[in-house]
Parts: sequence; structure tokens; C-alpha cells
Amino acid sequence: MTEKLNVFHIALLIYMIELDITIFSLSRVVAENIGTNGWVGVILLSAAALVNIWMYRAVYVVGKGRSVHEIAETVVPRALLIPCYMALSLFWIAVGALVGKNFITLYQMLSFRSTSEIMIFLFYCVLIYCLLVKDLYSIVKATTVFFLITFALNILAPYFSRDWSLTRFTTSFFQGTEKGHSLAGWTEVFIVNIGYELCMFLFPYVDRKSKLFKGVVAGHLLNTSVQLLVVFIAFGFFSFQQLQVMEYPVLNTLEYFEFPFINRIDNLIYCVFLFPNLVSSVMFCYAALATMRRVFPKAKPKLLERGIAVVLFGAGCVSIALNPFGNLLNNAYYLETILAFLIPALLIPAAYRMRRKERSAGHEESGSG
Amino acid sequence: MDKSGSAEADATALTDRPSLQKILEHFKDCSDMTRRSFSSCGVEAVYFTFLAGNDELLRDLVLPFADADPQEAASVLYRPPYCTVETLGECIEGILNGHAAIFLEDRAWLADVARSVGRKIEQSETETVIAGPHDGFVENWTENLAVIRRRLKSAKLKTVMLSVGEVSKTKVVLLYLDGIANPALVDRMTRRVESIEIDGVYDANMFVQLIDENPNSVFPQFMTTERPDAVTSKLLGGRIACIVDGSPSVFSTPTSFFDFFASPDDYYQRWLLGTALRMLRILGFLITICFTAFYVAITTFHYEMIPHTMLLNLTESRSKVPFPPLIEALLMETTIELLREAGARLPTKIGQTIGIVGGIVIGQAAVQAGFTSNILIIAVATSAIASFVIPSYIMSASLRLIRFGLIILAGILGNLGLMMGIALVIIQLAGITNLGASYLTPVAPANLADAIDTFVRGPFYALRKRPSIAQSPNPVKVKMKK
Repeated sequence: MTEKLNVFHIALLIYMIELDITIFSLSRVVAENIGTNGWVGVILLSAAALVNIWMYRAVYVVGKGRSVHEIAETVVPRALLIPCYMALSLFWIAVGALVGKNFITLYQMLSFRSTSEIMIFLFYCVLIYCLLVKDLYSIVKATTVFFLITFALNILAPYFSRDWSLTRFTTSFFQGTEKGHSLAGWTEVFIVNIGYELCMFLFPYVDRKSKLFKGVVAGHLLNTSVQLLVVFIAFGFFSFQQLQVMEYPVLNTLEYFEFPFINRIDNLIYCVFLFPNLVSSVMFCYAALATMRRVFPKAKPKLLERGIAVVLFGAGCVSIALNPFGNLLNNAYYLETILAFLIPALLIPAAYRMRRKERSAGHEESGSG
Repeated sequence: MDKSGSAEADATALTDRPSLQKILEHFKDCSDMTRRSFSSCGVEAVYFTFLAGNDELLRDLVLPFADADPQEAASVLYRPPYCTVETLGECIEGILNGHAAIFLEDRAWLADVARSVGRKIEQSETETVIAGPHDGFVENWTENLAVIRRRLKSAKLKTVMLSVGEVSKTKVVLLYLDGIANPALVDRMTRRVESIEIDGVYDANMFVQLIDENPNSVFPQFMTTERPDAVTSKLLGGRIACIVDGSPSVFSTPTSFFDFFASPDDYYQRWLLGTALRMLRILGFLITICFTAFYVAITTFHYEMIPHTMLLNLTESRSKVPFPPLIEALLMETTIELLREAGARLPTKIGQTIGIVGGIVIGQAAVQAGFTSNILIIAVATSAIASFVIPSYIMSASLRLIRFGLIILAGILGNLGLMMGIALVIIQLAGITNLGASYLTPVAPANLADAIDTFVRGPFYALRKRPSIAQSPNPVKVKMKK
């Protein structure tokens, strides 16, 4: 691929990766774990994600734009890395599968109760495969169109203004949580930001002009603003107690829409959310693909993509069969949150070591020359 | 002799000096070839009877040589319009292009006695306009090149003559504006045309499929048009145009998906009207691919989306229909396609009758017989009409095909199936490139300046730059201010 991503594309990609099924339960999770005026917590957690993004920037700068795999391979023997690569790849495929599975499970709550979830998931996997076999630039182009369709839904927000009231926010902050404040509770809210860490796989596709991290930050902040909009609408529309018992407050707010020519557009709008979920799943699979290519560098074209699609389908089927209504995705996102902080924490010293190695190799060469 | 040996022998023969015997040997069994001898001067001429014009033969062959002596004939042949030919290959090519080969002693000449064949310039039937020029391209490449030259009176309009087809030797002419078109793209396009290996090419719409970067895609990847004004505007936009001999369509490249929704008329009307028309076409695009599929999704799975006031009518209308909405919609869409295809293949007057019989009589009867609901008839007819709003017939046909896929997906998975179908279409579009440029320009990669001349038809003072997809080295096209 000769084309480089630009800041606009990167911003949209990060926005679309971060936006996924978790946004539907965000208001309840905020009410349960942060309490009244939880939107302040959303801003604080977004800032925490920005710190994490800054860590990836450090990896990029110290590593001189090398891919994260190259940085890791200069300091850790390949034999040790291969099992890590395999484990991470499988984990990312599982995350992609769980995003899709949760989206489909929720869709079945709205309609298609009797249709096989596995069949719907099969269609979902076909879409992921179709995107995955294309290059990253094509994925980004599709993401841009998906973004335009999804983001256009925000124009519906003023519809709630008639029944929205500021008094429902109350004057107290962070009160009324179900189990008090805990790291686990705040992490449950933080996972709605997960996805920005995949920017580490964009290093080979950017140059200085791409302004990678400006794009990542812009995408993340755009997503934060949408999260705030969702939380603001829910906190001003429902009472605090109502929010804590609603499983998916966004769906409840969407049910409120009624037009002369169409009713209950919640179903249709929910279906539009296929696009961001698809992008999230594809990018996790893309992370797995980029990692698997380091393990199998001579794999035939499309072979790894096919393998990933099969594993994705398998992982989805297993989660549907073993845990149809459980929330494995949250657990996977907890682990992904740990990885999101752990990977740059390990890669920054590795990148420094790589630089030192290169510098000493340069000295030796100039000495011998 | 093996194949390579034979080819080598042919190549050697083609570089030989031409002679009457060699020509007659080469064209043996071609009964439409005429050999004419002028005994008074010893001149021999051969030409294809039906490629030559009577007036031209009289002017360049009969009158100069009928009563001439050898010295007179020789002096005539060294004057225009006679051209000396040095090789057999050159001589053969000339005869195939309608020239007469003239032999005197051991030398050969060519005289252009070809008569102009094909129809005169007339209005395009597939791309009609209300305002603006009414001339359209014809099958003769020279006429097509002439109408473009007449519009662009500039030495910057360059042409690259190429020949495609091992047997058909079809003339292909690449046109570009020097200093405005990107030279790298011109080189790339030339190389791509030269790389074609096929026995014959008959039309520009066939030709473009040989140079597609995504040959398995349902979408057309080159903009073909029968209108000279459209090609002129593409050339001024920094694009490359290509004339294929024998085809009334000329194509241009690089092309974006959204180019197929623009019509030259847009520029001949006030910009607000042009903008409204463009938006109407985009609405038409959405209706044509989604409307019937949405009907199927709603009536199969999502009755709750229908307002109470409409629900009674819809239920009543559907109550007599024995098929599920998916089958009902597919039947009606297929019927509409049959009517359209029949109308297109029949003479205009009968085609109109078929439209009336099919559209009104069969439609009415189908509803009364309980074969289909009248609301579906509205949906299918609206989708069909919306597809004809799209100026490019080829794009409109592609969209109609996609509609069937979306209907099936909506029949299986309701709204989610419809969205999955739309996602598949977007994924397909995102993967298409044209001379390396993104098919989704100016949406992805996003370009606001291009969007002003894509989704809206901005006022001319705002259309300052040439489309970014052309990667023009001279991007400014409008210098005047408001």
C-alpha cells in the first residue's frame, strides 16, 4: 500500500472503533458505578484514556515510527514472542467475536427471537471477512462512509428537548452508586473507550504528515462528546433510579420517537449501529491479522484472513452456546484495558533499547568503516 | 513450423517491400476485393469494394489514370493525395482502412478512397437533455474526435493513437489536455491499453471491462457517455478521455462513483436548480436500492414500525396475497425487469404499448386477482422510476441488480439484513480503484472542494478547482471572483 492515512481518516477510524455495543448501556453503567452527575466521571475517564494514548505516542516517537512488532522483536527472542503473538491474536479475534455476538443478542431482544443467532452471526462474519481481505486503506474508506451514516443519527438528539429537564441531574455529584466507588466500577465505565489502543497497528501506514496522534486524540474526543451526549440525554430524560434499572437506556430513549409516517424507529436505528460494531470487530481482527503475519510471514494471500474468519465464527458460536446472555464482552474488555496500558508500558523501554542497539551498531559500522 | 517461427516469418514478410502479387496472396479468397488495371499506363490498383466511395474512386483513381501514359501516371503519383508505402504491413493496413493500393512498376502508393460510413451526428437516445447541446457521438472515431476538437480549440489537446485487438485492430484514441491532465496517469492508461491481449473489441463499454482494476465488481468503473459536452468537461477537469472506433460511447477516467449521478444539464441551469436535481438523484439512488427491500423488511418482521393509520390499509391490501412479502416483491421486481427489458428491445412505439399494458393492465389485474398488494406495486414502481433518474444507464442497471440482493437479505433478516446489504455495497465500493484513485472520492478520501461539485452543483465562482481525483498539475480552473 503506497497511500498513507491522513489525520481525518485516523480520527474517524478511532471514533468508529471506540463506538460499539457498550454505548447502549453506558448511561446505566455510569448511574450504577459513578452515580449522580456521572458525566463528570465520563470526562475524567476520557482523560485517563488520553494519558494512555500519550503512552502510545511515546512508543511511536521513541521507536521512530517502527511497527510495534519490530520494536518487540529487536529486544525479545522470536521464539518467546510467537506464543505471545498467538495468544494475543486469539484474544483479539475473541474480542471481535464478542462485540458481534453481543450486538446480535441485543438485536434478538428487539426482534427475531426465534431465529438462530448462529445464522445471523454467520452473516456478520461474512461481512467481516469481506472487509478483512481488503487493505487497511479500503477498510478506512468504508469506515468513512459508515461514520457519515452513523454520525448523522445525532441530528435526532434535539427531539428529546421537550421532555428533557436539567432538574433531573440533581445538585449532588457521584452519589447513589449501587456498591460505592470502586476501581472495578470505574473500569466498567472506562471500557466504553476501548479501541483507541489499536492505533499501534497504524504505525506502518502513517508518516509525519499523517499526524497520527492528532487523529487518534480527535477521534477519541469526538467519541467522548457522543458519550456525553448520550449520558446527558439519559440523565435529563429519565430519573436517576430509572436509569439504574434500565438494561439499555439508549434503546428506551429511541422507543420514544414517533413520526407521522413511521413508528418505533428504534429497531431501524439499532440496525444502523451494525456499522460501528462491524468496524470494531474488523479492527480487532485486523490487529490479530497483523500479529499473525509475524508468526506466518510466508502464508498464502487470504489464507490468514480465512483462518481468522473461521476462528471468529467458532468463537462466536462457543460464546452463544455456553453463555448466551452473559456478558463475556465486559470481561474481555477488562483484559483489553489491562493490555492497553501494559503494552506501551513494555514497549517504551523496548523502543529505548532498540534505539541504543541501533546507535551502538551505527558506531561499530562507522568505526569499522 | 512452430508458433514463434510462424510469427517471426509473418513479421519478416510485413517488413518486405510491397508488391501486387504479395497483396493478392495476402487477401486471397476475399471476394469483396477489387483489382483494377489501367492498361494505358500500367497502373494496378486494389481496394475493398464496399469500403471505397464512388466519388473518391472517380477522383483519385479513374480520372487521373484512365487515359494517362506511364510518365503522366508516375508524375501524378508523386503528388498529393498519393502516399508512397515502403512496407507490406503498411500497405495491408492502408487497404484495411479503406485506402486503395496503387502499383506502378516496382513501387506502391496509397490513396484514401474510403467513403464515410455510419450515421451522421445526431442526438443520443440514452442521454437526452432538455437544455444544452443536442449532438451525440457516432460510431466513426474521426467524427467523434472532430466534435471534441471543435469544442476544445487548443494545441494542448493531445491524442495518443493506439490499436487494440489482434484481429479487429480497433483504433483507440486517448485524449488529454497537456498541462492539465496528470502525465503519470496518461502513461499508466497508455500502458494499460497496450497490455490488452484480445482478438477484437467492438464497443467502449466492452473495452473498459478489459482495463478495469476490479473486473468482478458489479459497478461500472469508467464513465462512458455519448455526449461530447460531457467529455469536454471531463477533459477540462484533468481527466483522460478515450475514443474507441466503432462505438458511440466515449469514456473518461479516473472516475468516481458519484460522477455517475451528475449530468451535463446540471451546469446549464441555475446552480440552485442543478443542486436540487443532484439531490433528487441521490434520493433516487437511495429509493431504488432500499425502498422495496424496506417494504419487505417491514411487512415481514417489523409491523410495529407502521403507523396505525396506515396499518389497516396495508393489512387489508396484503390479506388476499398468498405469498410472503419476499416472494411477492421478487415476483413483482422480476415482472418490472421483464417489462423494462422487453420495452428496451422493441421498437419505440411497441415499447410504449408494452409499458402501458404491463404497467397498468397487468398491475391492476395482479392486485385484483390477489396476486400482489397495491402498496407493493407502489413500492416497486417507485423504485423502478427512481432508477431511471440516474443519468448513467450502466450504473442504473447495476443498482437494479443490487436491489434484488438487498430484497433477499431484508426478507431473511429484516432491517438488519437491509443494513448488512448496505454494508456489503459500501465494502464493495470502498475496494474499487480507478487508475489508482479511490472510487468513493470525495467521500473517502473526503474532500470538501470536490463535494461542492458532487452532492451540490455549486455556483461557478465556487468551483475553483479541478476534481482532486484527476491529480491535475494545474488544479485551478476558475479564476474569476464572485
